[in-house]
Amino acid sequence: MAKRISYPLFDEDRCKGCELCTTVCPKNIVVMSDRINAKGYYVATVTDRDECIGCKFCAQICPDVVIEIHREEREE
Amino acid sequence: MARKLMKGNEAIGEAAIRAGCHLFFGYPITPQNELPEYMSKRLPEVDGVFVQAESEVSAINMVYGAAGTGSRVMTSSSSPGISLKQEGISYIAGAELPCVIVNIVRGGPGLGGIQPAQSDYFQSTKGGGHGDYRLIVLAPSTVQEMVDLVQEAFDLADKYRNPVMVLGDGMLGQMMEPVEFKEREKLDFDHSSWATVGIGDRETPNIVNSLYLDPQELEDHNIKLQKKYDEITKNEIRYDTYNCDDADIILVAYGTTARIVQDVIPMAAEQGIKLGLIKPITLWPFPYDVFKEYSDSAKAFLSVEMSMGQMVEDVKLAVNGKKPVHFYGRSGGMIPTPEGILGKVNEILGGLK
Repeated sequence: MAKRISYPLFDEDRCKGCELCTTVCPKNIVVMSDRINAKGYYVATVTDRDECIGCKFCAQICPDVVIEIHREEREE
Repeated sequence: MARKLMKGNEAIGEAAIRAGCHLFFGYPITPQNELPEYMSKRLPEVDGVFVQAESEVSAINMVYGAAGTGSRVMTSSSSPGISLKQEGISYIAGAELPCVIVNIVRGGPGLGGIQPAQSDYFQSTKGGGHGDYRLIVLAPSTVQEMVDLVQEAFDLADKYRNPVMVLGDGMLGQMMEPVEFKEREKLDFDHSSWATVGIGDRETPNIVNSLYLDPQELEDHNIKLQKKYDEITKNEIRYDTYNCDDADIILVAYGTTARIVQDVIPMAAEQGIKLGLIKPITLWPFPYDVFKEYSDSAKAFLSVEMSMGQMVEDVKLAVNGKKPVHFYGRSGGMIPTPEGILGKVNEILGGLK
């Protein structure tokens, strides 16, 4: 049976490190990383992609359109 | 006109273009990069000129040259870059030329960081460069205010033939908010007595200069400048007050910090503490006189800043010893929290009992 999975992708060079996305994730898997992007900001990232429920909260709150939520059908 | 969602830095650019500024000279630095980026895209569309100079020193001297023609011109940078521009700013002030300089402040000293701060208050309001000169310093606290004040900055610069600084911070520059570009009355300024645009039918050429080797002549020039600064102080002070009439403690904050303080006021009210806010909009000229109205009724003043304590010195001058003046600040890109400010308020009230 096919299983639907979701995960966020971060366009890291657009991120300004405002941390808004980290405040809305119901699973607390969106956190700040220790990577610095081309602009010089610490960027947001996801700790455990398997935990993502695809609620899109992080993508919707991001003022700089950094985050995309991808959904895929995967065979069990 | 409809409101548009814009990033602070980009909104500054659009506001400047709508104020008739078609010349921009700058050099990139975070956190204001979106502003030159926006100008590089938009200025060619309005037959303007965008130059990315080879350095900040070069950029401010291009501004000096352009301002000498009486054209509206702007440059922008962030703290370390503004330090590099100080020589040029002093020359422009000395030569009495109008221009707008945007400083999207980041933490210092030195290269510091790229996160928001308000630690360039001294540099902006007390000199920065050499000599007896003043900048008109405008401090917006929302993207909308930034747009309005940038447009106003060009009028003030032309009115007084003086450089005007718009002092934001990394948070305002990066923040996205809805803005409306209001139609402004177009003022007419006569530049013919000083602008270097060709001799025309005048007898002598206009010369842009800040060199006076005769000491008496230089003193006369300084006295003339001082009279202009007195005139600006008389006419152009701007500030807002909130809730000050029956406040126990009046908080003083500008820019981003003023917004945080506005969140603290209702939090304190829940605890039965009455707080007010004086929000200076012109940091120079500083609104000293408004403090007199409240220095009898308030028990204490608290200056809240994203610095280690700069504007607090002007607050002390304004309160003039009548009431205690306290300070609460975060620095280096750390943002004061409402809880932290309220904690300081409680500490002051504990001490007052």
